Amino acid sequence: MNVKITSPSEFQSAEIVTDRQNPACIRCGLCLATCPVYRTTLRETDSPRGKIALLNAVADDRLEVGQEFSERYYGCLLCGACATICPSGVPLEEIIQAARDDMSLHKLEPERLAQLGRIIAEHHNISGEDNAHRLLWTANMEDEPMALKPRETADVVYFVGCVGSFFPRSYRLPQTMVQLLEKADIDHAVLGGEEWCCGYPLLINGELDQASELIQHNLEAIKSMNPEKVVFTCPSCLHIWNHVYRSVAGEELPFELLHATQLLADLVDAGKLRFRELPAQRVTYHDPCDLGRKEKIFDAPRRVLQAIPGVELVEMRDNRANSHCCGGGGNLETFNAELSYAISDLRLGQAQEVEAKVIASACQQCERTLTEAARRNRVRIRVLDVAELALQALEE
Amino acid sequence: MLSESIQSELGEIVGNEHLLTSPEALICYSYDGTFHESLPEAVILPADTAEIAQVLELCNRQRIPVIPRGMASGLAAATVPVDGGLILNTVRLNRLLEIDKANMMATVQAGIITSDLQLEVEKLGLFYPPDPSSVRHSTIGGNIACNAGGPRCLKYGITGDYVMALEVVLADGRILRTGGKAIKNVTGYDLVSLFTGSEGTLGVITEATLKLIALPEAKRTAQAIFPRLEDASKSVNAVLWGGIVPATLELMDETAINAVEDYMQLGLPRDAEAILIIETDGDPADAARDMDVVARICSEGGASEVRIAKTPAESDELWRARRSISGSLGRKRPNKLGEDISVPRSAIPDTIRGIKEISQNRNLPIVIFGHAGDGNLHPNILFDKNDPEEWQRVQAAVADLFGLAVAVGGTLSGEHGVGTLKKPFLESDVGPVAIDVMRSVRHALDPHGILNPGKIFD
Repeated sequence: MNVKITSPSEFQSAEIVTDRQNPACIRCGLCLATCPVYRTTLRETDSPRGKIALLNAVADDRLEVGQEFSERYYGCLLCGACATICPSGVPLEEIIQAARDDMSLHKLEPERLAQLGRIIAEHHNISGEDNAHRLLWTANMEDEPMALKPRETADVVYFVGCVGSFFPRSYRLPQTMVQLLEKADIDHAVLGGEEWCCGYPLLINGELDQASELIQHNLEAIKSMNPEKVVFTCPSCLHIWNHVYRSVAGEELPFELLHATQLLADLVDAGKLRFRELPAQRVTYHDPCDLGRKEKIFDAPRRVLQAIPGVELVEMRDNRANSHCCGGGGNLETFNAELSYAISDLRLGQAQEVEAKVIASACQQCERTLTEAARRNRVRIRVLDVAELALQALEE
Repeated sequence: MLSESIQSELGEIVGNEHLLTSPEALICYSYDGTFHESLPEAVILPADTAEIAQVLELCNRQRIPVIPRGMASGLAAATVPVDGGLILNTVRLNRLLEIDKANMMATVQAGIITSDLQLEVEKLGLFYPPDPSSVRHSTIGGNIACNAGGPRCLKYGITGDYVMALEVVLADGRILRTGGKAIKNVTGYDLVSLFTGSEGTLGVITEATLKLIALPEAKRTAQAIFPRLEDASKSVNAVLWGGIVPATLELMDETAINAVEDYMQLGLPRDAEAILIIETDGDPADAARDMDVVARICSEGGASEVRIAKTPAESDELWRARRSISGSLGRKRPNKLGEDISVPRSAIPDTIRGIKEISQNRNLPIVIFGHAGDGNLHPNILFDKNDPEEWQRVQAAVADLFGLAVAVGGTLSGEHGVGTLKKPFLESDVGPVAIDVMRSVRHALDPHGILNPGKIFD
């Protein structure tokens, strides 16, 4: 099905591209150098410059919006590398997101993603399981974590996120996090079945309306615990809380939002976590897009790693604001798994290039995609969360 | 559109998934780094030389225009179709075939990104110096086809100075291998030089052997501010007279300084007529000593301030002003036309004065920066292409610029090439005999005129 756009106002993204107030794409091509999708497919149609050209064509009535157009915009990691490198300051993230909103509105969203949206709306999580099972990750822990103690309020609420709650291979991360919180003597709680999907996958698919119910629920659930801080191990949850929850709430949130690595770095600085020496290992840190480029948190995870004796921290070719996506961003894996894997392989290659034995990250999605890349390529490289290395160093 | 039977023949050669004909694909391959656009009839992405040979054999037989294209960072509309045809994209040929350490040469396929090649050879202590500003988003094939330059060319030379051997597919599909690893080679015509800079009109470059040199160990960066342009220009000459060849010698004139200040607020002096960004390199002692001399010459020559970076971070900071120019242009007006006239070094002050007059006469903002060491200037005309009256004035300003360049003893293009944009002005620069010779060469190699038709000259 094609949609003929008769006026740019029917297509919000076309309106942003043609708005004279916004910097225009001068077609320099610099974004091709950093776009992981372009670097993998080598197709101009997949490049950020190409995406803008397509929208300009829609705005000028030279192109009808149809399946291929839609695929180009969903075949994107939303990693933001293009927006960072663009010398003209074209608001690429805003444009790409608006285009997805438009596609959702005009029913041009790929079926697999629409399906994901329906699962989240019905089950309040990305897996489709009963949301009451959000604490399965605690089942095989030796000691029942203190986080499960029934309680009215807590100083810190740990927002676990869907991947850590429902993907057995990612259980290790919440298990690690609650142990670290206990060792640091922090009064904390998790929400269990009262934690709903943060809404991020819906928002990036362009289904803003469906996300608002989830956002309202989570805001109420956390406010009722009256915490000082909410801590996240998932950078995407943190990003959406920082940027969308605040505006939905319409007021300053009565608590601080922190990524786990920020909390850990503070605890290290305050002397509340003291690390023993780990066996000497060459570790590289992979900046998750939502934590680094989008939340500008680059130093905290590195500070934690550097505080662990035995860890030799090395940087990959693309790091910090120029980090290369793990391949797991933008719901790309749901839409086009093969492409997502090829991008993961490129990032794995960068870790091999600096001869790292461990890739440390701070996002369960990055960990999952990079672990799978290592297995697929039969590469002996361990992928861990910064928190997991920290816990090892406390226990050695 | 290409006929169904031709499409199916092309699809058989490369595999259907590598032949693109959707409206979306045609739009995305209709432009380069300029504001020009024109749709091709199809886009083909062959995997290797053999496939390219088959594609050209077919297109030659069927008289289908073929436009060779890398990553389309070009600034002369040389890869923008003029009248449909087939875009032949060489990006899939992106392998590094060999680094020959003993002979210090690398052999690569045409589609490798230039900075990827540089990173690989630098791991071995080797250096491929040409550094067009598109180094991260352009391919070696494109660099050779346009004989690309860059800031480091003053000291290290241009792309063509590093091309030792080429593999080229000719218009009729024959594969030519020319040149080799022998440094001295006068056996027959220098065909390597003929194809270098031919902008896809004589053949499709598929493989190249490139000369490498030892990677300089250290570099030093300085920024010198000159209240008077004339002093900056004289200082450049004095540095070179002093026997020092800086790796780069970049000039921003007051239009560029103010454009950057408008958007970045770096604290650059808006009343200064010129800023030079100078880099020396070599072994650590040489780089430092050369920089001391450069700083002294600039100070004595009228610089109000010379800042020398002590750390790589400070060096980055000094480059920021220069690197921010291109970004600041898009914020001033929606379109820009970046020219690259090249003039004798001594004519730089006159040329810049002339450009400012053109800017005033045509009532168009023109931002000027460039490579002060080799006289290659980049006047960028800022405009809105949706305003037809303004577009008329832009075209008049371009003619003025080229007239100025030729009048001071220079040339139209130092590094971007002719493509579509400079075609109308070519004869005024090179003269009718040169065009006639070029036309004969082109006709001999491409009698049916299928290779990048409508580019450079008709």
